[in-house]
Amino acid sequence: MRVEPHIQSPLSSHVEERGTPKAAGLAGVGLRAQHHTEILSRLPQVGWFEAHSENYLAAGGMHREQLLQIRCRYPISLHGVGLSLGSTDPLKREHLLALHRLVQTVEPVFVSEHLSWGSIDGTFLNDLLPLPHTDEALRHMSARVTEVQDFLGRQLLIENISSYLRYRCAEVPEWEFLAALVHETGCGLLLDVNNLFVNAMNHGFDAHTFLHGIPTSAVQEIHLAGHTVMQLEGRDIRIDTHSTHVSPEVWRLYSAALSRFGPLPTLIEWDAEIPELSVLEAEADQARSMLESSRAAAA
Amino acid sequence: MLPLRDLQQRFASRLLETDSASVLDWIRADGISALARVEIYRNNLHAGFTKTLGLEFPVIQRLVGQAYFTQLALAFLAYHPSRSGDLHHVGAPFPGFLQKQFANTDYWYLADVARLEWAYQECLVAEDSDCLDPQTLRNIPVDAYSNLRFTIRSACRLVDSPFPILRIWEANQSAAALPDFIDLTTGPDHVVLVRTPAGLHLSRVPAGDFQLLTGFAAGQTLEHALEAALSRDAQFDLGAALRRCMGLGVFGHTTFY
Repeated sequence: MRVEPHIQSPLSSHVEERGTPKAAGLAGVGLRAQHHTEILSRLPQVGWFEAHSENYLAAGGMHREQLLQIRCRYPISLHGVGLSLGSTDPLKREHLLALHRLVQTVEPVFVSEHLSWGSIDGTFLNDLLPLPHTDEALRHMSARVTEVQDFLGRQLLIENISSYLRYRCAEVPEWEFLAALVHETGCGLLLDVNNLFVNAMNHGFDAHTFLHGIPTSAVQEIHLAGHTVMQLEGRDIRIDTHSTHVSPEVWRLYSAALSRFGPLPTLIEWDAEIPELSVLEAEADQARSMLESSRAAAA
Repeated sequence: MLPLRDLQQRFASRLLETDSASVLDWIRADGISALARVEIYRNNLHAGFTKTLGLEFPVIQRLVGQAYFTQLALAFLAYHPSRSGDLHHVGAPFPGFLQKQFANTDYWYLADVARLEWAYQECLVAEDSDCLDPQTLRNIPVDAYSNLRFTIRSACRLVDSPFPILRIWEANQSAAALPDFIDLTTGPDHVVLVRTPAGLHLSRVPAGDFQLLTGFAAGQTLEHALEAALSRDAQFDLGAALRRCMGLGVFGHTTFY
């Protein structure tokens, strides 16, 4: 068994409690179906994997079976993209029930979802759409997070999303909205450093203000991913494509996040034009090296 | 500010092109117009939906080509947007949509190929269950045979068509070389799809076997399913058919009364 005993986090304690072998630290990789077989045959030195909940809600099949086999070797977290937490439609009961079954089967380290909406009047747009950061949206989102946490009987982590627009209304900054959500619901936060960077550039705010505006103790997991720069009407806009390497600016912001929040479980996400697993391992290695430095600095 | 629900309805309408009351007035321009900002989300919706449908219907995509498939996917989106946060359900109405789209045309067969592809998708994620142990049948008294009810496993689907859909499907797997020509009059095809621990297999079976399995799937007893199979094929050999079906791993738990 290989654990990182000096890094205190929900993940490391989880690893120790469950005696999970092959835990090589806090740097993990997003689990994608095309890598299942290789993971099971090669057992790479990756600390943990994060599965998109919706990919495994079905009753059976090879992918679900492989997830459970991988679960025997590595800690797993479940990351939702389809619950549409911020929608003003009622939560879909079948989706919640299926998620509940999956959570009970997998016993994930974390269960996370997004500060977003994606459906209305029964139609799903299957995207992470931005909420206005208003009092009404905060009340609504708080009620929904509480409903899901009560249903699952455990804490949710809520992730900040990338966005390409802001609403014309009296909004509070995103970090204040998230801090209030934590206060209202007791949820944790999943800090996506790439999303934060994308938003800071797209909407012109200082990412460090965000880092200092969210409650330190609430942040339990970090995401890193690649984004793309597009030109629109003669202006740069950054699109969260998850189709490339983590950018140097995002690595720098990650370093600042580690200084503020300490070494936290960190995940490499790559969802489009998915490369060989070894490419993701190399990105995770870089995160691991920065986590080690952060641990050394803290000591 | 608009109530949140109004805002979400206007936003979705804009993305689905059924725009009645515009959301654009409620979005800041900030150097890039509100229209261009919303277009990013509309493009995401179109690209994501088309990609998902293409993953579920790769043979249809290959048969009609990427450009026309994208047109079909966006036309389908207008009638059948996703009703779930789980994208696995998106393609369920697609075969029916194609059937209407290509009724009375030379491309009618596409709907049947799509039914086969959707059955494949359903098999991939169906509940796991054990195959019937042949020993079980030996313990059943002979006078109970006529009331046997064979259960079709949840990871099994039956698809038939007047067209050679299995041949079309096989010829369009990514590793397969495309034949120059498939004669559409060389059907019908009766296809059984089964997922076992060894993988998901598609098999062409005789019309009588298919009729028997269709009867079992509808909950019929062996006696009634056999009658229907014999009406389809007077030479139908029940013993041989059951052995073939057992070999494919079609049957699950079986009861008799």
